[in-house]
Amino acid sequence: MTRMRSLLGAGAAALTLIGAGCSGGGDDGGPVELTFWHGYTEADGDVLEGIVDDFNASHDDITINTEVKTWDSIDDTLLTALSAGEGPNIVAMPAERLPVYASKGAFAPLDDFYADEGGNTANLNPGAVAMEEVEGTKYGVPSGFVPLAVYYNTAMFEEAGIDGFPQTWDEWVEAAKKLTVDENGDGTPERYGVALPDHATVANGLWPSLFYGNGGGIVQDGEAVIDSPQNAETLEFWRSAIAGDKISPTGLDGIGSDELFSGGKAAMTVGGPWMASIATENDIDYAIAPIPAGPETQAASAIGISMATTVDSSDAELAGAEEFFSFFLNDENSVKWSLGSGWPPLRTDIPAEAVAENPVVAALTEMSDLGRPLLPGVVNSVDVLSAVDELTQKAVAGEDVGALLGEAQTEIQNALED
Amino acid sequence: MSAATVSRKRPRTVRPGTVLAVIALVVVSAVVLLPIAIIVFTAFKPTAEVNAFPPSLLPDEWTLDNLKQITSELPFLRLIGNSFAFAGGVTAFALVFDSLAAYALARMDFTGRRVLLIAIIATLMIPFQATLIPLYQLVSDLGWVNTYAALIAPRAADAFGIFFLRQFFLALPRDIDAAARIDGASEFRIFRSVVLPNAMPALLTLGLFTFVNNWNDLLWPLVFTTDSEMGTITSGLTLLTGPGGIIPHGVMMAGSLIAILPLVVAFLLIQRRFIENIATTGLK
Amino acid sequence: MSVDNAPARRYRPPAPLGGRRRASCGGLLRRNTRAFAFLAPALIILGLFVVWPMISALRLSFTDASGFGREEWVGLENYATVFTDPDILNAVGNTLLYTVLFTPTAVIAALGLALLLNSPHMPFRSFFRTALFIPFVVSFAVAAFAWSYLIDPQVGLLNYWLGGLGIQMGNVLEDPTLAMPAVAFVAVWKLFGFYFVIFLAGLQDIPSSLYEAARVDGARAWSRLRHITLPLLSNTMAFVLIFAMIAALQAFDQIYVMTGGGPYGNTQTVVMEIYESGFRKLDIGFASALSYVLLIATLVLSLVQFLFFGRREKDLSS
Repeated sequence: MTRMRSLLGAGAAALTLIGAGCSGGGDDGGPVELTFWHGYTEADGDVLEGIVDDFNASHDDITINTEVKTWDSIDDTLLTALSAGEGPNIVAMPAERLPVYASKGAFAPLDDFYADEGGNTANLNPGAVAMEEVEGTKYGVPSGFVPLAVYYNTAMFEEAGIDGFPQTWDEWVEAAKKLTVDENGDGTPERYGVALPDHATVANGLWPSLFYGNGGGIVQDGEAVIDSPQNAETLEFWRSAIAGDKISPTGLDGIGSDELFSGGKAAMTVGGPWMASIATENDIDYAIAPIPAGPETQAASAIGISMATTVDSSDAELAGAEEFFSFFLNDENSVKWSLGSGWPPLRTDIPAEAVAENPVVAALTEMSDLGRPLLPGVVNSVDVLSAVDELTQKAVAGEDVGALLGEAQTEIQNALED
Repeated sequence: MSAATVSRKRPRTVRPGTVLAVIALVVVSAVVLLPIAIIVFTAFKPTAEVNAFPPSLLPDEWTLDNLKQITSELPFLRLIGNSFAFAGGVTAFALVFDSLAAYALARMDFTGRRVLLIAIIATLMIPFQATLIPLYQLVSDLGWVNTYAALIAPRAADAFGIFFLRQFFLALPRDIDAAARIDGASEFRIFRSVVLPNAMPALLTLGLFTFVNNWNDLLWPLVFTTDSEMGTITSGLTLLTGPGGIIPHGVMMAGSLIAILPLVVAFLLIQRRFIENIATTGLK
Repeated sequence: MSVDNAPARRYRPPAPLGGRRRASCGGLLRRNTRAFAFLAPALIILGLFVVWPMISALRLSFTDASGFGREEWVGLENYATVFTDPDILNAVGNTLLYTVLFTPTAVIAALGLALLLNSPHMPFRSFFRTALFIPFVVSFAVAAFAWSYLIDPQVGLLNYWLGGLGIQMGNVLEDPTLAMPAVAFVAVWKLFGFYFVIFLAGLQDIPSSLYEAARVDGARAWSRLRHITLPLLSNTMAFVLIFAMIAALQAFDQIYVMTGGGPYGNTQTVVMEIYESGFRKLDIGFASALSYVLLIATLVLSLVQFLFFGRREKDLSS
């Protein structure tokens, strides 16, 4: 064993020379070194790295090292790392994943940070802050909060003679019907008016958005509220539009919808800010509009990303992390981050003009107050979301909505009581 | 080889059965190779064609854009180097340790042999997700996180390999080591100079199996190396996933092509020895 | 090389353990020491990195551990949940269905093709052998990705071609009845090449003199297969079956990529539940308990196969 270990050690050492930096604190006991895992892999990643570099340059005593992973692999590796005390000090993750880690004690509470004026948290979008709260305690700082929006192909709208984006569900379905093209009349349109996935939707947010529009919801005050007449109406309405009028394929998932839109086979999709760059890459002229209002209200589920500090951190490291959060949320960086990432500013006091130079951000900023956090504080979001997926997919496929809602209600309530 | 000798004695007539068999084999091979073809050709398709309808197998316009994007987004030479170090390291150790253990289990008498064999096989029956956390804690206690030791040592022996080689060693004729035994050769000498040389096909098979499985492993390198510089090509490919989980097909296929190319080349290089000789075992 | 002594070597039983053991105690000790010297490196690795984590996982299965922080002893609660939770029971059913779809298909395909390509008269033998093995070098993730693309209802090439022949596949991965066969098929595609090679090895190990003798006796092809090939392959068959079954019972990768367990949990397998409860719900205690139930089930099913095939050839369990 010793022999093998030393052999392997030699191999590892040789590779370290090639350039692998070993993570771990500085030996001199001086400055604090923090590791920060995040999943911003695109242009947003470059901007974030820039902000981190600025932070490191302006703080002699704190150095943050980032490690870029995909959002999925953060989930796969955070648990193992935490189990051995090898976790990062700061981690960013999809907001609906925060409660389960927080409830198991993985994250340090940030109530004091929020109470401190220097934290730049006073004017954060309240919806975004709600994502960070679990059983009355805040465990994270939002790094992203954006309502789902409709991204639509303006060339197709023009061709179909549709002026102005629809404002209500009925108008939305009418427009989608006009945009749906079945040239050979085989019953399978070559082009769909809209891509409405019936499961695994973008950020799991499409159906919650539709439920809100008709005054329904999924979970309220820790209780399942999915089995409501409003939700039944919503499901019936959209089933008849999707399966009956064929404005969208059935059995679609969120990624599939984005692909339909970027492939020019759907005129509209409900998605996140990245659709803007994807549309551009695919030479599609697009515009962004809020999800049209339902019979009761206009609202959209938001895509949220949270940053948290882990318990694998010393007091000095926690202080350093909080220092970074307030730096990240200051006036200058709020604007820089918003413009660079294409997501609207997290602070409501950032004037619209500050981000006007990026039309995508400007459009999304206008609808910021429509955004509602997805399942805030729900620890077992996994089972709740899978119950919603099963409900919507089966409903669109034609099963009895009343029975499905009853089942979903039971499953969600069980998940909440776990 | 006996098979060849036999075939030469028989008249070569093409029978209808053979024709049918060849047709069946052509169909099966076409189905089997279709996904490989789609990977190769999609890697050279421009984005617009990837999602075009009607789809086609061959690109209308060949492009290197996807491959270029890989080389600009990923340190792929380094990742491939890591993959070789990881998969190669595991394979080298596992072949040595597995064959030693398999030799004892197949050709030596000792107390508790049967129980030990069953215990070894039983370790394969628990999914590795179940032991990942305790294993990671151990590796972390050893201070190995982000090192090649973490990637390689836990797999330096494995139950499948031991069992596979044991089956093979059992089938080797006992007579082959009789002469050496009479000469008073040590057990290790018999293992090394008599049994191992006769087991080359099995060692190649197992070596390829081990190498391929580790090369292709996704979660293992992701978990044990938090430092992206230590990642493998397979784990690196996950970074190509776009925002919103959208996977750019052309780029991903190009990445997949880069990831499997070394395996296919390695396989083609040894395949003559491997497939043709795999079990001419004791017949040498 | 001698064909004549081949049958003899094949059937020589391993030296009996009992006789020599009685002969001398010192000899026994020496033999044991020598054997364990050969076994030591592998046993140290397996003990440290496999068995020890297994023992830890067993302990965790009686707790509500999350992998970090506090944990409490909960007795058999996790095990009780395994046998009562409808999601888990659904996953067990799915896993059995997958095993039944995958194992015989992969094994029969591998065996059939090995029989065809073992014949020295088969034209292009080398090409076919290579072609059939190639999928094995492709990772499950890539295989899943490529097949998903081929059968995509919108832009899938295979869908398009079959549509041209009048066969409408529809959205296979979202079809509650077709999704499971589809993910099982991808596993067959990826893995049968390896079983095929093992069968080839087993076939070449059968001495041709036996076939010659059978031909002289006038035995027909089917009879030769039935009375020579299959009995002499039973050792290989047991090996392949058991490992194919273990692979099936642990199905995860391609399903995770292709369907994520859907539609409506119809392709959710036991290992997917283990992964989800461990790495998504941070319930390591429950994930460990479920893993142990899977281990026991696999062990029992394997022993049944050992007994079934072991009747013919004692080799395997000796």
